[in-house]
Amino acid sequence: MTALKPWIGLISRLTLGGVLLAAGLLKFQELDKSQMAVRAFELLPVGFANFMGIVLPFAEIGMGILLILGAGTRFIGLAGAVLMLAFSFGISWAWARGLSIDCGCFGGGGPVEPGTANYLPKLLRDLGLAVMGIYLFLLPQSKFALDKFATHDTPDQKESKDEQ
Amino acid sequence: MSNKQQPGKDNFTRNLVIGVVVGVVLIMLVPTLLSKQTKSDAAVPTFASAKHGYGITYNAELTGVPVIDIYEDFQCPVCGQFEAAQGDYLESLIAEKKATVVYHTLSFLGPESIAAANAAACAADEGKFLDFHKLLYVNQPKENSGAWSNANLAEFGKSVGITSDKFATCVNKGKFADWVGNVATEGAKKNVNSTPTVFINGKELNRGNDYYDRNLFKAAVERG
Repeated sequence: MTALKPWIGLISRLTLGGVLLAAGLLKFQELDKSQMAVRAFELLPVGFANFMGIVLPFAEIGMGILLILGAGTRFIGLAGAVLMLAFSFGISWAWARGLSIDCGCFGGGGPVEPGTANYLPKLLRDLGLAVMGIYLFLLPQSKFALDKFATHDTPDQKESKDEQ
Repeated sequence: MSNKQQPGKDNFTRNLVIGVVVGVVLIMLVPTLLSKQTKSDAAVPTFASAKHGYGITYNAELTGVPVIDIYEDFQCPVCGQFEAAQGDYLESLIAEKKATVVYHTLSFLGPESIAAANAAACAADEGKFLDFHKLLYVNQPKENSGAWSNANLAEFGKSVGITSDKFATCVNKGKFADWVGNVATEGAKKNVNSTPTVFINGKELNRGNDYYDRNLFKAAVERG
């Protein structure tokens, strides 16, 4: 199991990082729509929602690149988890209030036909990604990362010693 | 836990990468945020003013009549349906001076929405906004398929009787690009989240049939 941990870390990094990067790039193509998607949640004041609609894609792109490279894994993992939990909250909120919106997770967004919103899979996906972020925060050592840890050369021995 | 980071030059590459990525993101983010602010020095077409959210406004001088604000995107197919259902009625309200009508040409569907909105503003300067507006919806192509290049849009002017070189220059140079941005920014401030969205005297028209049924729409306008 301990030998697997850096590989689980790598998979988590590439998955969470890849999703963030893709989502950010798609939103970056249409910032007006990104702003609209945030407004449609009816969660934030309009002015702040418009600000977040622009900031989010940039933050996602930056976090995605850093996670894929494995630079600052611990901090970005935590930030990614917080972001995914915030998205999960937003989706739950929209669902609970009976809004019919596209989450705009990968670009797009805004109102959709009632009954076609389909929130559950998106909620589960974001919660799963949040778990990966938390894992990276707790165990940031992973394969092929720029981060260098003191135990990098012999993570297996060190980890197993900790657990005994 | 055992994941203390090693001090010193081993993490130099990592720190450099973090610095570069964060720096580049900020360098791109700040001008983008600034570009989404309303530009007070933008060239504004005839009939448009900051007072009505930079929309192209007909019968602005009237009082005691309904004010109809229409938020639309020339590339949005549902806006085409709205235009087909209510366009003639709106034009009759304008001609008979029975309402103030404001067209907000949003551009969230991409580059050809911006090009179309700019061209429509150029047509407004030629006194042909409504004709051009109708022409675009009648010939609405697939989104961003290249059909609404500036060259093609300039050519469309001839179909509504615009022959001046000024129009072609205006379209090709994107003279009203900043104004198109202002319309979008004002629409965002008004919390417009889909197109078409219609406000009658500042109150959003209920989603659904009111948009596409002439009698329901007319009743909503007359209720005020």
